[in-house]
Amino acid sequence: MQAAARRPRTNHLDLAQRILDVARQRGFAPGAHLPEQQIASLCSVSRTPVRAALRLLTEQGVVRWEAATGYRLAIDLAAQRAVATELPNAEEDELAEAILRDRSARRLDQTVTVSGLMRRYDAERKTVLKALQRLTEENLVDRAPGQSWLFRRAPDDPEAQGESYDFRLLLEPAAILTPGFSLDGARAAALRQGMEALMAQPDAAFDTREFQRLDIEFHGMIADGSANRFITDALSDHLRLRRLPGIYAGVNVFRLKQSLREHLTILDHLESWQYEVAADLLRVHLRLSRSQRPRAASRGAPALFGMISRPD
Amino acid sequence: MTRKASPTIALFPEASFGAALNCVGIAQALRARGARPVFICHAGFSGVFADYGFQEYQLPTNDPLSDSERQSYWQAFVRRHLPHFRLSPVDQLETYVAPTWQAIVDTAAQAEAPLRQLLARLKPDAVVLDNVIMFPAIAGASCPWVRVVSCAETELPDAEVPPYLSGLAADDPGRAAFEARYLAAVAPAHERFNRLRADSGLAPLPRGLFLEASPDLNLLLTPAIVRRERAEPLDPARFTYLEGCVRSEGPFEVPVFPRNGGPLVYLSFGSLGAMDVGLIQRMLAVFDRLPARFIVNVGGLRDAYRAVPDNVYLGAWFPQPSVVAKSDLFIHHGGNNSFCEALRFGVPSLIMPYCWDGHDNARRAEETGVGNHIGRDGWTEGVLERAILGLLADDAMRARLKDSAAQMALKPGTDVAAEAILSLIRT
Repeated sequence: MQAAARRPRTNHLDLAQRILDVARQRGFAPGAHLPEQQIASLCSVSRTPVRAALRLLTEQGVVRWEAATGYRLAIDLAAQRAVATELPNAEEDELAEAILRDRSARRLDQTVTVSGLMRRYDAERKTVLKALQRLTEENLVDRAPGQSWLFRRAPDDPEAQGESYDFRLLLEPAAILTPGFSLDGARAAALRQGMEALMAQPDAAFDTREFQRLDIEFHGMIADGSANRFITDALSDHLRLRRLPGIYAGVNVFRLKQSLREHLTILDHLESWQYEVAADLLRVHLRLSRSQRPRAASRGAPALFGMISRPD
Repeated sequence: MTRKASPTIALFPEASFGAALNCVGIAQALRARGARPVFICHAGFSGVFADYGFQEYQLPTNDPLSDSERQSYWQAFVRRHLPHFRLSPVDQLETYVAPTWQAIVDTAAQAEAPLRQLLARLKPDAVVLDNVIMFPAIAGASCPWVRVVSCAETELPDAEVPPYLSGLAADDPGRAAFEARYLAAVAPAHERFNRLRADSGLAPLPRGLFLEASPDLNLLLTPAIVRRERAEPLDPARFTYLEGCVRSEGPFEVPVFPRNGGPLVYLSFGSLGAMDVGLIQRMLAVFDRLPARFIVNVGGLRDAYRAVPDNVYLGAWFPQPSVVAKSDLFIHHGGNNSFCEALRFGVPSLIMPYCWDGHDNARRAEETGVGNHIGRDGWTEGVLERAILGLLADDAMRARLKDSAAQMALKPGTDVAAEAILSLIRT
């Protein structure tokens, strides 16, 4: 893989993301002052990387520089949660995405080696290792003996999708019902805004990627709200798998819009602290989302569900 | 009949994706006109229509199979029939066509009592039957019924039309021999079916026929560009040709390929054809060396493939009309729904039929210059490569198809069907 002429360093990207997270958590409004020293302190880093990260955000139009007062927030973060996803990718991030894309398309086997990836992507060893490190941190691959890595199972076949929904049916309602659940109000408000905007799109122009982002964010918000940290961790790990390419392929727009309406109804009940109703609605939502489409059909034959074995 | 503001139209497609999805297209157009389309579906198909927002009524089955029994059934089905799909149409008559007709008669017999009860409860204003066999309960319902001929036009016999399922030209000298062998092969199923009809008070059908024309309205999914001249033209008061019947789907975003150049080719042999893994693997080896991108429907069998070429993308399910609309070539099995979608978007077809009317559409595609066909067996890499590259380079065919597609777009089959059905109710 050829490196782009000018690519931001991963640590600057990470820091830019953290700055946005901090600003969002503190409810910074458009125009809010972003003093370098305060940001550095909040993010526990020195001012030098903060300056680089703020420059990066300036290039993206998220932050603006004023000679008299310094950096200021240029956008409404509550309304635009997608900002971070629009930041340019680091080289290893692009490689990691290409690896996931090619695994999803079965261009890569379940086990890969560093040397094999170097050859395939014309990448340096250190870039491949960093990409694999990122995928390992996200629990998408595991280190195997020798110089090989093993992809974890993804919910991208009918059987695994079924298991994934069973797992979520067990844990997501429990995340809400465990005493101490708390909803991130700012996150919920941003999500509501995003989902309503997406629902208003005509079917022919429906943005499935935006649906994927909102869906993961919605279910992630529920996971993060749980008072039981083990439930949060298990769900967060699992929901990460839903970021993989192709997971949302094949669901039609009617169902996606219906799913958004279900999200909003669940949100209504979460915001009014009706947690038992919200958990019940979530259970129904997950059951409806589980695909019921037969895997094979032919006239005169009973429709087939579930896994199809490879014909001999 | 009293005119209702929101008439209930019960659509009853056979348990195959082609019929199911073109009925979804008609139902979408009915809904847009204020009607209340609902679906009667065979066991296993519930959920398919709900995903498009339609109420479903599943017919109970007397003999529900467990998941493992269903799995075993299909493994045996595939093991038994994959070799048959490589036979000529005439040699499929005893091996595939006859046992399939027996199974279809079984489904009609099993459905009869529950269907009669359901129709009595639903009291629809019309029933739309998209199947290859009659259900006596429909004739007995106190409302008009509409037949959708969603197979190739050959499903309606005529002296100038080749025999159904034959893959022959109309004037083929082998016609009489095929017809005789067909009638002999399906006779046991046909006799059983006529007994079922007699038990329900319906007159028997002539040999070889399992479904009569509706006395009210018959819709043929046969676009003008492939339509045939008939010795006895169909009565326009009862028969309406549709320029395809393509449902609305969401947008399809073409994936980024590691080797991302060249025209886009879509391959789908339907859910049954996706089980022919060996065939698709052979095809991928050819795709690898062609200057094009390939989107391939492999159903639930993606894990059967390794080292997929960089210009190939495998998926389990695609919003097919949206994919075809962006494709330069559609390789399919000749299912009439797929064929009509290719025509609707002006895309050439390369047909590799495995059974039923796929053979008829394969022949017709070549006769009318809207595509080409090759057998599923016996092709060499060079034959497949030349067929693909030849169709991609055929500018004259593409121009003709685009003109036809523009005409088809002016009269969407789904709209024409919905209008005809609603007119029937209102007369």
